Amino acid sequence: MRVDWKKIKIRELAALVCQKLDENDIDAVLVGGACVSIYTKNEYVSYDLDFVSHSRLKDISEVLKDLGFKRESSRHFVRAECPYFIEFVAPPLSIGSERVKEEEKIKTRFGRITLLTPTDSAKDRLAAYYHWNDPQALEQAVMVAKAQKVNLRDIKRWSVAEGHKEKYEAFLKRLKI
Amino acid sequence: MLESLFGNPVIEKIFFTVLAYNECYALGLAKTFDEPVNKFQQQLKRLEEGGIIVSRLVGRTRIYTFNPRYAFLKELKALISTAYEFIPEAEKERFYIKRTRPRRAGKPL
Repeated sequence: MRVDWKKIKIRELAALVCQKLDENDIDAVLVGGACVSIYTKNEYVSYDLDFVSHSRLKDISEVLKDLGFKRESSRHFVRAECPYFIEFVAPPLSIGSERVKEEEKIKTRFGRITLLTPTDSAKDRLAAYYHWNDPQALEQAVMVAKAQKVNLRDIKRWSVAEGHKEKYEAFLKRLKI
Repeated sequence: MLESLFGNPVIEKIFFTVLAYNECYALGLAKTFDEPVNKFQQQLKRLEEGGIIVSRLVGRTRIYTFNPRYAFLKELKALISTAYEFIPEAEKERFYIKRTRPRRAGKPL
C-alpha cells in the first residue's frame, strides 16, 4: 500500500505502526493525545503518537526503520515528510497508580490499532488535569466522554482512589454543559 | 544507602533532594553536593525518560519533580522516605534542610 507521508492521518499512522510492530511480535498500546484525536475524529489534533511497550527500544527501532522512521533521541522517532513524531514512553501501562487491564482494538484499512479504551483515554487525560491542573487535558477528557461511550462510574471510582473526587465533580459539571 | 540498588550515588541524592524540597534542578544539585553538573544532568535525563520524574522550564531553569503519574510512585516514595530517616542529622542539615521560604529581592541577609 502506497503511503502519502505528507498527508497521512494520525489514525492511519497509528494503524501502520501497530500493524508493523504486531507482525514482529512487539507489544505496543497507543496512549495519550493520539487516542483523543482518534476518538474525537480529530476534534482535538495531536501530532505525537505515544506508545507503551515492554519490548526493547533496540528491537522497536529496527522495526520502525522499515517504515522509514529514524530514532532521534532515546525514545523518539521521526520520519522525513511525516508531520507526526512517535514516542515510546516507559512502561508499565498504567493510569495513575492503576494498571490498565483492558485494551481497545480498532480495525482500519492500514491495519489494527491497539489503544486505550475510551474510558481509560478519558482517565489518562484527567490524570494530567488532576496532577498538573492542565485545563487542556480537562477539555480533552470532556471531548472523549462526549464523543464516545465511557464508564462514568469507573472514572469516578478511579478519581476517588487517586484522591481527586472534587476535580472529578468539576469534570462531570463540564461534561453536562 | 540505596546506591547499590539504584546503581549509582547520584540517583540517591536526586531522590532525597526531591523528597525534601519537592523539586530540584541540575545546577542546584551540583552546587549543593559540590559535584559536576553534568553528572546530575545525565541522571535527571535518565529518570525523566523512565517516567519517574517530570520537568518544566521556569525561565531558563529546568525544574524536576516526581511524576505524580508514575505507577510505582507511592512505593518508591515510601522506600526513599524510610531511607531518608537513616541519614545522619548533620548530613540532613547540610544537604536537605536548607531555607526554602521566600526572601524579598534586595533584602540584606
